[in-house]
Amino acid sequence: MGTVIDVQHLKKTFNKEVALQDVSFSIQKGEIFGFLGPSGSGKTTTIKILTAQTESSAGNVFLFGRPANAMKQSHNRKRFGILTDNSGLYTRLSIEENLLLYSNLYQLPRSAVKEALDFVNLYSERKKKISQLSKGMIQRVTLARAIMHKPELLFLDEPTSALDPVNTQHIYNGLRKLNAMGTTIFLTTHDMGEAEILCDRVAFLHQGKIRAIGSPKQLKKEFGDDSITVELQNGERTTIQNGAQDAQKLYSWMKSEEVVRIYTNEPTLGDIFMQITGSDLV
Amino acid sequence: MNISMTRIQAIFMKDYKEFSRNYAVSTMVLLPLILAFVYNKSGVNSINSYFLPINSAFAVVTAYVQCCLIAEEKEKNTLRSLMLSPASLADILIGKSLFVFIISLFVVALTIFLLGYNPANIGILTIALVLSTVFYIALGTLCGLFAKTIMEASIIVLPVMFIFSFGPLALSLSAAYPILEVAEWLPSSQLVILAEALESNFATMDVLIPMATIVIWSLLTWVLTGFIYKKRMVD
Ligand SMILES: Nc1ncnc2c1ncn2[C@@H]1O[C@H](COP(=O)(O)OP(=O)(O)OP(=O)(O)O)[C@@H](O)[C@H]1O
Ligand SMILES: [Mg+2]
Repeated sequence: MGTVIDVQHLKKTFNKEVALQDVSFSIQKGEIFGFLGPSGSGKTTTIKILTAQTESSAGNVFLFGRPANAMKQSHNRKRFGILTDNSGLYTRLSIEENLLLYSNLYQLPRSAVKEALDFVNLYSERKKKISQLSKGMIQRVTLARAIMHKPELLFLDEPTSALDPVNTQHIYNGLRKLNAMGTTIFLTTHDMGEAEILCDRVAFLHQGKIRAIGSPKQLKKEFGDDSITVELQNGERTTIQNGAQDAQKLYSWMKSEEVVRIYTNEPTLGDIFMQITGSDLV
Repeated sequence: MNISMTRIQAIFMKDYKEFSRNYAVSTMVLLPLILAFVYNKSGVNSINSYFLPINSAFAVVTAYVQCCLIAEEKEKNTLRSLMLSPASLADILIGKSLFVFIISLFVVALTIFLLGYNPANIGILTIALVLSTVFYIALGTLCGLFAKTIMEASIIVLPVMFIFSFGPLALSLSAAYPILEVAEWLPSSQLVILAEALESNFATMDVLIPMATIVIWSLLTWVLTGFIYKKRMVD
């Protein structure tokens, strides 16, 4: 194993406006880590600092055990891939021509282009110019470029925000496959469902601060109240606690065959976010 | 500094493909050629007048086109993507200059041909023209790096182009306005001075001083360009 990203007391201000405050977390090799937060909470800023596109105002940031600034070196740039919201593709060139450029910059064999195109389900459309593509297609081309060189670490800034359900599923499967081969993934999203399906651990970011961090399961346990709701034959719904006292109640209802349904009251990540920050995610 | 031919070539090929599909910029190449053609028809034959279309080729093709190409890369965020790839500063700057370098030399050669200009010492003049091209590419790159959008770039580059390409013109007005004598030290003026020297029995210094002046301009501009580029790598 080993720590891939280590962030300690990171702070970032833009002309006195605080964008990130005392942000600390670390990501282990092979993890899929979700950075969740509403618009403006500092997700993109964090990725920019991690990839040495922006300097931090205070704190320490390490990638692969080296300061983030080392990521400016050519050989270290091969170790990560990045997908951002502004694609940076050449609009007069075709999908294939764009990827071909990058396969040469990373000095990859030509077959890498086809592999990457298959990954995002775009091989049959490879001759189309970027200027003719939909938002979702552009997002997939950017993803193809990010994974083409099979990086150890992948930064994905809202990777599925413009995708339809079919392509979203396709990308999820692809990301799981990459992850199974050892790629560490740092992803930002404001889609709680996405975080729940994909991420081993998530951090809630709100107004530049991390408000909670842990696996979705842990967080649910921590913020759930262990209660269940029981619906009875007479239409009545009762919420009871997990414990000896309420177990007796449930037992008697079950014995008299009054129970229609039992629901868990497990909170969704969205509920937890709301509970912690008092605000909605989007 | 690591330099990779594969990467430089990849960026060059990309620029070539983009340029050939970008008519707004690629048609600029015709401007000095038309000017040269008109000049030739009007029967001019002094060195000074030959260099008006030649210097404008440097301004319009070399500096302006390079500036637009760099500014577009900034506007569309493609420069940032290149910077995040393993391509080094040198790979990107050389790759992005090579295309304009070749186009420029081609246009300048054609301009000279259309003018009917027959330089007395073509070898030395070629060296001076190549050195000038390197300088104007740096100038264009620098302007492009300062701009955030193509619109901004074309506004920034206009006065710069004017100052640098009309140096010799300013020089001819310096009898009336002595302050314009500084224009003598512009690379465009030095190129004319050198070309004029070549037509007579010239001393080594007559050639070396203009060449050195152009090289110094070039070096200073490239150093500044590298510095600004590094700054543009981070927000
Ligand atoms: N270059 C900049 N100059 C000034 N302020 C900035 C800059 N970049 C980001 N900010 C500010 O930092 C804060 C965090 O922005 P950031 O882009 O990281 O948010 P985000 O979580 O990625 O939002 P979104 O979900 O909308 O992408 C915002 O208040 C934003 O205005
Ligand atoms: Mg963002």
